[in-house]
Amino acid sequence: MTIRTSRSARAGQYLALLAYLVFLAFPFLWLVSTAFKPPRELGSLHPTWIPHSPTLDNFRQAFDEQPLLAAALNSLVAALSAAVIAVLLATPMAYVMARHRTKLSAAATGWVVVSQAFPFVLVIIPLFLILKNLHLINSLVGLVMVYVVWSLPFALWMLVGYVRAVPRELEEAAAVDGASRLRTLVSVVAPLLAPGIVATALFAFITAWNEFFFALVLLKTPSTQTLPVVLTHFLGAEGVADLGPLAAAACLATLPSLVVFALIQKRITGGMTAGAVKA
Amino acid sequence: MISTTAKARSGRGSRRGADHGAWFLVLPALIPILVLSVGPLLYGVALAFTDSQSGRTTATQWTGLLNFQDLLHDTLFWDSFRIGLLWAVGVTVPQFLLALGLALLLNQNLRFRWLARALAIIPWAMPEVVVGIMWRLVYNPDAGILNETVRDLGLGDGRDWLTGLATALPAVILVGVWAGMPQTTVALLAGLQNTPPELHEAAALDGAGAWRRFRTVTWPAVKPVALAITALNFIWNFNSFALVYVLTNGGPGGRTRLPMLFAYEQAFRYGQFGYAAAMGCVMVAVISVMLAFYLVGRLKGGDDQ
Amino acid sequence: MRGLTGRATTVRRTRLGAAAAVLALLLTGCSDDGRGKDADGVITLRFQSLAWQKESVDANRELVDEWNAAHPGVRVEYVQGSWDSVHDQLLTSFEGGEAPDIIHDASDDLADFAHGGYLADLRELLPARLKNDIPRRSWQTATFGQGVYGVPFLQEPRVLIANEKILKASGVRVPTVRNPWSWAEFRQVAKELSGGDGKTYGVAWPLKDPVSATLNLGLSAGGQLFHRGTDGKVKVRFTEGDAVVPRTIHDQVGTDRSASAATLGMGGSDTLPGFFGGKYAMVPLGFSYRQQIVQQAPEGFAWKVLPAPAGADGPTQGVSPQTLSIARDSPYKKEAMEFIDFFLRPSNMARLAKGDWMLPTGAAALKDPALRAEKDGWATGAALAEHLVPAPAQSVRGYPEWKDKVATPAYQEYYSGAIDAQELEKRLVEDGNLVLARYQR
Repeated sequence: MTIRTSRSARAGQYLALLAYLVFLAFPFLWLVSTAFKPPRELGSLHPTWIPHSPTLDNFRQAFDEQPLLAAALNSLVAALSAAVIAVLLATPMAYVMARHRTKLSAAATGWVVVSQAFPFVLVIIPLFLILKNLHLINSLVGLVMVYVVWSLPFALWMLVGYVRAVPRELEEAAAVDGASRLRTLVSVVAPLLAPGIVATALFAFITAWNEFFFALVLLKTPSTQTLPVVLTHFLGAEGVADLGPLAAAACLATLPSLVVFALIQKRITGGMTAGAVKA
Repeated sequence: MISTTAKARSGRGSRRGADHGAWFLVLPALIPILVLSVGPLLYGVALAFTDSQSGRTTATQWTGLLNFQDLLHDTLFWDSFRIGLLWAVGVTVPQFLLALGLALLLNQNLRFRWLARALAIIPWAMPEVVVGIMWRLVYNPDAGILNETVRDLGLGDGRDWLTGLATALPAVILVGVWAGMPQTTVALLAGLQNTPPELHEAAALDGAGAWRRFRTVTWPAVKPVALAITALNFIWNFNSFALVYVLTNGGPGGRTRLPMLFAYEQAFRYGQFGYAAAMGCVMVAVISVMLAFYLVGRLKGGDDQ
Repeated sequence: MRGLTGRATTVRRTRLGAAAAVLALLLTGCSDDGRGKDADGVITLRFQSLAWQKESVDANRELVDEWNAAHPGVRVEYVQGSWDSVHDQLLTSFEGGEAPDIIHDASDDLADFAHGGYLADLRELLPARLKNDIPRRSWQTATFGQGVYGVPFLQEPRVLIANEKILKASGVRVPTVRNPWSWAEFRQVAKELSGGDGKTYGVAWPLKDPVSATLNLGLSAGGQLFHRGTDGKVKVRFTEGDAVVPRTIHDQVGTDRSASAATLGMGGSDTLPGFFGGKYAMVPLGFSYRQQIVQQAPEGFAWKVLPAPAGADGPTQGVSPQTLSIARDSPYKKEAMEFIDFFLRPSNMARLAKGDWMLPTGAAALKDPALRAEKDGWATGAALAEHLVPAPAQSVRGYPEWKDKVATPAYQEYYSGAIDAQELEKRLVEDGNLVLARYQR
């Protein structure tokens, strides 16, 4: 940077940054703090940032009250299957969209954009009726089918960007060497795409892990419900929520997505930009 | 809807000059898209013209425009729609401004930038349900940090933010801003980083102040990204559901009942599938029209300059 | 297990084709919906209970365990539901063919389900003992059209819980079930009990859910609100009787300042800290809130259960009892009814009532001496039992939507002073009839 910034401007910038930091972090810190507070402190009229006598009881109680482990397992199965299937389906299509400028590619790109504007409610009613006829209500299979289709647009968007980043010349060279098209794809393009594919899959994983609306409508018994749905059961009637266990469970449910997100943070931004700039 | 017909046409068109390899690669994704996305969408539009209800006692019948007529008189729906627009604008605009500020800061060579980047990601990675729960804890009248801060600052006893008629919507909007900021920031930051630094330097040499540099160099560069992300944010916000479901469940007195929640209740609480589908159609239509105006207006505005 | 019930639908299911097969392979955690018989011929019934207070969850679970110990051939599986989302959850479960066999709910929630054909008509299934034990007016709450779709088993009147010290000090007449306050008298008393300085109030109305409170208490003044025409269609009409209770509350808040405006948006439990602290002299609450009071009240805090004010029709009030229903889809209705019969034996019903701090509907259970003790106000509740009639809107289709969308915000805004009585009436009637009409085409 050759542009010099005056000292007062710098100070202002740091002040602003600090304000952002506080705004972004304080609710999260409060959640963590609440998760470690014993009931007596939660009931007191003057809550404090740091629990006086921190306790793990809330976590134990959370597991007692709701089937959190089963819910986490359901979430894991649903998110993992959705991510893997979505990427398996999307990668070939993304390749075509990136390499062939056909009407089909244009239509697919159009769909990617338009599908962002769907109000889910217009889709969920028919989906519910369709899945009902297939006897796939209250089943993770039905949910995964919905998640796959629902995460396809963004997966395509990201993957198209990644495919474009793979130099065409490499493929052409392989073709000149006599490799078949499929071989070229598998042995030349796929390895170069691998990091992008993994990032896309992880992103699809988080999306599915966090998803609430479809799960709420489609899953009906505690034995099939995913974490976000089970979490809402902590909010009892009349809003007399058991704050401690609620906070504890919420913390646990966030951990996996935070970890995954930390892993792919750079790639997500990279992928989004690639798609945004070149599309 | 336009896109589906366009797609059907283009699908037929390209089949003639079929590139079999390409079709083989596209089909695995295309079939689920057609079956589980385009299909249901058309089905949903069709439902809007029926009296489809839950229950087994009555068969579904075509009712023409009856649902839409009812909708026209349904003041509650339009109230909800108004709240939805208020919410969408109320979230999107501050979200954009705050995100732009943060992106500009993060684009500077500041210390602790890494910390801000890491923190900025948290709201994005969190399940929306957890975001809702978290803010419920913040807003809790007795055990929440917000009222405690208010009390510490000597600003009175605090209030019941989420159940007060006047405070509920602003309180929920704040959560919406918080939750959506990271995505916007990341997108804008990407746009900023595509601005060639030489332009800045040249402008600085010309003696342009920070504001002028922003107007003449930075803004033109991020404008396409800014437009796209605002439009998307607006749609996403208008369609948001989980936050209000967890925070207020539409209360108090329907003050935070966003149209999505309204339609959800109509369909899955009261079993009025056809009527809810009609709401969905109206939502799509109105939003599409508004967006078209917004984008056209903005792009024109850009040409004038 | 799915194969058994799924045979008829295999044709349809094949349409899914390979995609589903692959998915199914990937998904190990497939749902076991626990329906039907296993290889040994043991029947499994799913019982979804909404019990949420610890005592009553324990009572429910104990009864299920006792049943399972005594009936090896019919296993009952306890599934925890929640009042918060029960209507959505049941509706989508019914539609999706995933409903529990035995369903715990409240009578005012059943109308749409009964009309939708999801619930079994219990008339043929009910054992004579149960039929005779529960009085007619209670059965009416679960009767829709000709059929009976639920067994009402627990109910609670709304009562005034008063701070005994403040009450005694004021010297006002203490009402009894035989000689309750009139609404006018109640308004006067509330004024006397309030400090008038905005610090202490005679009464705190926790009206987060204002509709059932207003309508049920409104019956005492002859308010009906819902009127069935000769064509069988129901319409909302707002009469003088309907206005008594809303006006009293509105004036207490707005004119007399004898009721706190801050509690209007609260749930019952939220008012308790202020009640214990002497901020409110009386709180109108459901009978079962006594449990929380007993648990949370500070040492030495004296409180008393008073009957709600009475109008032209005496201390009458509407109730929507908790009910047990059987899903029409359940293949084992007979067994399900046997379980309900066991679950609601007089001694068991009394146990459930104690667990939930409510009144049993059954005459035999209500004779339990523990439910007639003076302590904790049980006697007052028991004396009110004969005055409990079906809540006004029981059988009206579309009532839940009317309540949530129209009436709740309208009453809330009226009580807080945001709209006047005229606007309240307009919304309840005009907007309300629009909603009801959609259900009665």
